[in-house]
Amino acid sequence: MTIKIAVIQFPGSNCDLDTLHVLKNVINIEADLVWHNEFKGSQYDGVVIPGGFSFGDYLRAGIIAAHSPAMEEVRLMAREEKPVLGICNGFQILIEAELLPGALLQNDSLKFICKWIYVRIETTDTAFTSLMKRGDVLDLPIAHGEGRYYTDQLKELEENDQIVLKYVDRKGNTVKNANPNGSLEYIAGICNLERNCLGLMPHPERASEKILSPFATTHGRLFFDSMIEFIKKGV
Amino acid sequence: MPKVKIEEKEIEVNLEENEVNQIKTFLGREPNLTELGMFDVMWSEHCSYKSSRPKLTFFEDAEKNYAHVLAGPGQDAGVIDIGDGYCVAFRIESHNHPSAIEPYHGAATGIGGIIRDILCMGVRPIALLDPLRFGNLKNNPHSQWLFKHVVRGIADYGNCTGIPTIGGEVEFDPSFENNCLVNVACVGLGTIEDFKHAPSRAYFPGDFVILMGGSTGRDGIHGVTFASRTLTEMSEADRPAVQIGDPFTKKIIIEATLEAIKTGYVRGLKDLGGGGLSCALSELTGDGGTGAEINLRNIYMREPGMNSFEIMLSESQERMAFIIKPEGLDTVLKIFQKYELAHAIIGKIDDSKVLKIYDGEKLVVNVPSTALSDAPVIQREERRPSYLDDLLSQQTPELTRAIENVFYELIASENICSKEWVYRQYDHEVGIRSVVKCGDGDSGVLRIIGTEKFIAISVGTNSKHCYLDPYEGAKESVVETCGNVIANGARPMGMVNCCNFGNPEIPESYWYFSQAVKGMADICKYLRIPVVGGNVSFYNEDEVTKKAIKPTPVVMIVGLIEGEDNIVTLPFKKPGNDIFLIGETKAELGGSEYHSVIHDLEGGVPPKVDEQIIKKTWEFLFELYEKKHVLANHDVNKGGFIITLAEMCFKNNFGAELDFESQNIELNDEEFLFSESTGRFIIETRPEVREEIAQMAQDHGVPIMRIGSIISEPRILIKGLKKRKEIELDVLKMKHLHESTLHEIMDI
Repeated sequence: MTIKIAVIQFPGSNCDLDTLHVLKNVINIEADLVWHNEFKGSQYDGVVIPGGFSFGDYLRAGIIAAHSPAMEEVRLMAREEKPVLGICNGFQILIEAELLPGALLQNDSLKFICKWIYVRIETTDTAFTSLMKRGDVLDLPIAHGEGRYYTDQLKELEENDQIVLKYVDRKGNTVKNANPNGSLEYIAGICNLERNCLGLMPHPERASEKILSPFATTHGRLFFDSMIEFIKKGV
Repeated sequence: MPKVKIEEKEIEVNLEENEVNQIKTFLGREPNLTELGMFDVMWSEHCSYKSSRPKLTFFEDAEKNYAHVLAGPGQDAGVIDIGDGYCVAFRIESHNHPSAIEPYHGAATGIGGIIRDILCMGVRPIALLDPLRFGNLKNNPHSQWLFKHVVRGIADYGNCTGIPTIGGEVEFDPSFENNCLVNVACVGLGTIEDFKHAPSRAYFPGDFVILMGGSTGRDGIHGVTFASRTLTEMSEADRPAVQIGDPFTKKIIIEATLEAIKTGYVRGLKDLGGGGLSCALSELTGDGGTGAEINLRNIYMREPGMNSFEIMLSESQERMAFIIKPEGLDTVLKIFQKYELAHAIIGKIDDSKVLKIYDGEKLVVNVPSTALSDAPVIQREERRPSYLDDLLSQQTPELTRAIENVFYELIASENICSKEWVYRQYDHEVGIRSVVKCGDGDSGVLRIIGTEKFIAISVGTNSKHCYLDPYEGAKESVVETCGNVIANGARPMGMVNCCNFGNPEIPESYWYFSQAVKGMADICKYLRIPVVGGNVSFYNEDEVTKKAIKPTPVVMIVGLIEGEDNIVTLPFKKPGNDIFLIGETKAELGGSEYHSVIHDLEGGVPPKVDEQIIKKTWEFLFELYEKKHVLANHDVNKGGFIITLAEMCFKNNFGAELDFESQNIELNDEEFLFSESTGRFIIETRPEVREEIAQMAQDHGVPIMRIGSIISEPRILIKGLKKRKEIELDVLKMKHLHESTLHEIMDI
């Protein structure tokens, strides 16, 4: 069986082509760019909601896209335990669609931030982190204006091991200036209870090729490689 | 402003009386109000280049003289062939006046406009760069306000459209206090096939005219005439002349336009920028040798009751005019429908050579299609300013403070300090092409996916040097901007420029423009760099002091690197390696940061370009690159070569030990350390090839100097100067000062 991944394109998505490039030319799997109105989840083994400014992020980041019929399809896929990945704006959409808990607020600096940061893997028990080790520190870039994670259910998240990534310094410590946007508990990415749906603010597709990384690393591709592993196991 | 009596009303126009008479001759009658408004806009300086055209002939014909130039000046953007079937389109433009009045939307819509220009060439916009100029920031809330909101306007617009902002330049000088400069540049990438099928003008009668994108409102009416006057205190009242941008719609327009062009049915395409529909329609039909019948009532309007004058002059953003083959109409409209973009068939092309515009049944415009773009040329007077001699003869005062502190003050000064505060707000990585990122090199380097090629792009000029000598200063702008891409390993392939000057009606201001254009033209011809486009912005004056801005001929260079191995970056790589200073340092402190920061002095003798040495230096560097001898390279610029060298230490917290004992430096210490002589580089090389490099330099006839070695401790030791025995600088302190200046001023 050939594995096929969909990258959903909303009006205003702008990391769609980047994500498609990584899936097809770096990870070497079949992938389609699908216009949101035409998306059918049943045709795919997994889905990525890419970064960007879907519907201009008007009203609130991700909220209009969250009401697109495409998200009903995504919801079904999540229920069928297919892997669902939301990157940056995709994370915002998953939160607004209530596939993931919490909220993403404006950065505490009140400014858009584009830079490479470090994240620590908090759990490998997800569809996207199985090829990593707990405590691994990854180099990834962020680029967002609204990425400050907040939730009033922190305890549940911790108890259910749903916190997947935390912002840290190079040595892997959660110190204040390692937190680029003021996220609660340094949270950079979380998963659902079923562990097949991940939302994260950093951009793994920008860190999947050595030439793009200031550290000559390819940590981003681990998320995609893990996803393929997850699908293969399911089969 | 002159007044014209039309339809019983007295109308204020920007036209001269003889121009109004010329319009009457063209038409053989009195123009009506709408027609006059259209001429007023199209014959404005901004649209017609009526003052600048006589000087723009200085540039050699790029398309004729360079095989790799596919499109030169006069097109929406310059286009060059970079090999392997790919082409690069690029253009730079000013959006100064709107940004001085309404910085956020002024800057944002500037980005919007330049993206549309690239799109018109049929290629995908892949990078933005922004050269900016403001008054000094310290204790200056107005400049801080402009700076903050211009940057935010660029960030919000660029980030949303998914085009990375990969570079730029910021200069602070009191002359820009009330007339900031916001220049915007965009780069597009496509295949040669894309370019060949790129839409152009309306050549075929029977084709449909479609207006697509944003709705037409009353915003931005007379934006271009406003840009063709000096800013006055009345300008605050002109705020409605600034348009409002919508980056989300722009993003969809980019995708829909590229998809529509791919069908092959789009025969003509023009963005609606300055001059709105008037400009787009007259260029499409005028250049195409056709005419058109248009009905304004088909246009999708934002508000009711707009009259024909308002519709024709509206500069509402995010609109494109398409000329579509009749058989492809349905296909193209389906694409617009998929993207849910507003669109309307507003008319048809015919062979009448006349632009006929109806408002319902009523014929409101009836003018020959070429008349609007046929503005008269004005020969302006030029005169060298009398104050220049005094300025040039200013002497450098005695330095009364410790020289170490001079370095610390310079590295923290607004023009030299790190611009991280700016580029952190720009998404400079979207598109996954950014290989050398902001802060890591003199230019932005992008990979061309699917090839072994990379392009390096840089923008810049030095307004202070140009103020003292516009001819030499403009030459230097070209040399230094080329130097930036060369420092990253690229060969310069093409240049576009954005000329920002004062009121051309004042002979002194016009002299600056004339000299600068001549300087750029001469050096480009000598160095064999094609000039593939340009933009002129006049009337940049301080409303309060009535003084012109410092002359600012911004240069944009696109260079090409073949192979990843050939990319060179800025940071020093390894302690123990040699440091060479390439190029000659002369007593040229005029217009330097040392003069302005330390002595509050504008004058002195500015750098002069020795083009023969420059050419030799570049060839020498390319030979070093070929032999893989260069491990790091940084173009020497503001503040002199020690500042350059310090910046190369920052990333890895290295230092340097320099000894000039055996060099017999003739200049005094200040001249030697702080001069901003053109065409110099600091490079890192391995000690094993020291002799070989010296021999190569001699063969090329290039002055070089091995000035010392990289050390692992973060300090710079300078020994053996003429007057001072030893200077020691703390690299970590310099780095801290370099990084904190803008944060301390802007993040309160």
